[in-house]
Amino acid sequence: MKFRKIALIAAGCAVVAGGTLAIAATPSDVISARQANFKVMGKAMKGSFDEIKQPAASLEVLKTNANAIAGAAVKVAAGFPQGTGPEAGVKTTALPAIWEKPQEFHADADKLVKAAQAYQLAAASGNLDAAKGALMQVGGTCKGCHEDFRSRDN
Amino acid sequence: MPRAREAGAKLWDWPVRLIHWSFVALMPMLWWTAQHDNISLHKRLGLVMLGLVVARLMWGVVGSEPARFARFVKGPRGLMAYLRGREKAAAGHNPLGALSVLALLGLLLAEVVLGLVTQDVDGIESGPLNYLVSFDVAEVARHLHELVFNLLLGLIALHLCAILYYRLFKRDNLLTPMVFGRKALDEGMAAPAMAPAWRALACAVVAAALAWWLGAGAPH
Ligand code: HEC
Ligand code: HEM
Repeated sequence: MKFRKIALIAAGCAVVAGGTLAIAATPSDVISARQANFKVMGKAMKGSFDEIKQPAASLEVLKTNANAIAGAAVKVAAGFPQGTGPEAGVKTTALPAIWEKPQEFHADADKLVKAAQAYQLAAASGNLDAAKGALMQVGGTCKGCHEDFRSRDN
Repeated sequence: MPRAREAGAKLWDWPVRLIHWSFVALMPMLWWTAQHDNISLHKRLGLVMLGLVVARLMWGVVGSEPARFARFVKGPRGLMAYLRGREKAAAGHNPLGALSVLALLGLLLAEVVLGLVTQDVDGIESGPLNYLVSFDVAEVARHLHELVFNLLLGLIALHLCAILYYRLFKRDNLLTPMVFGRKALDEGMAAPAMAPAWRALACAVVAAALAWWLGAGAPH
């Protein structure tokens, strides 16, 4: 009996602790985390573009960048829970349209994930021109979403 | 106003006026193209701006007298002497206006140089020399490119206020000479010497070549 009680209390504590942890992820934490994730992609895009400007572009470098983009791309859609828009009072360029048109937003995020995976495959295939083409496709999905869901001014 | 057009001595030659009014036309176009995400047009216009700024700086060394920095830029002592009324200015920019010219051209130069290395937020659209700097340096450049633009807006506003002040309170029309090139000079002012056209052409060729080379990513 006693053991059960202790177990119950412990479980209760765990739930409370877990709850507090979830609450501890404040809107500002969520926003910084998603911005850091976007920055990873921004850097990898620049890394890719810098590389293809080289006289002898290295597919290895493109592959590393493609992996970074694909790894971050899958996290994009989950970075925008309710309450993390401009109303959070934290510096963000996310537009309210994200929560007004969630289907379109998620479709854009899906396009990014697919384009990033295609870029990964193309870079791994060893065909430089295919990798370049796939990189441009990725860039198009970034721009497409930014035009509708991110403001220019910050 | 045929009088304003024909009377007076030649003050601002055509290179100065052409460059000046190109600045006026390009500023809103550069703002508009950046604001509407037409960065590829923005970059092309920005390179034209770069060429014009470089040409103007060269013209300030080898050009017609009123365009030359050595003629109108005075040290602090010369400026104070002018402000206290102890020294008269030659035809063209006075020593105080010279500061405005330097600040405007200096900021324009800073703005085009920053533009060369800056990048859009997503790291996709970027200046032709962006590949030579890191992501973080380019981010700093982006913020400075925006800051210097706002400083330029402030100085342009000041510039317009000064022109209006001269017009209203000093009865000195500065606009017409910048359009038509001629100005009635004060008693005793010498008519400035004009540089030959081939020099302007040489400056234009050098400036255009530099802009083209930078626009192509400074190949070597
Ligand atoms: C599904 C929509 C969407 C896609 C696709 C997308 N982004 Fe974004 N991005 C956003 C939104 C929304 C923000 C604003 C986030 C904020 O400020 O809270 C943003 C912000 C950014 C930022 C600025 C982050 C910061 O520090 O403030 C960068 C960099 C960025 N994105 C890069 C990219 C790149 C590179 C891609 C493509 C590989 C991409 N994004 C694809 C929606 C998207
Ligand atoms: C005097 C000349 C210039 C002016 C007045 C000017 C002005 C501007 C302005 C107002 C912006 C938008 C800033 C923002 O709000 O984010 C911008 C962005 C940009 N400019 Fe320029 N620019 C000039 C020259 C150049 C040049 C020469 C280049 C490169 C060739 C360049 C490349 C860029 C790029 C890549 C951006 C996008 C970065 C961003 O998103 O902020 N600019 N410029």
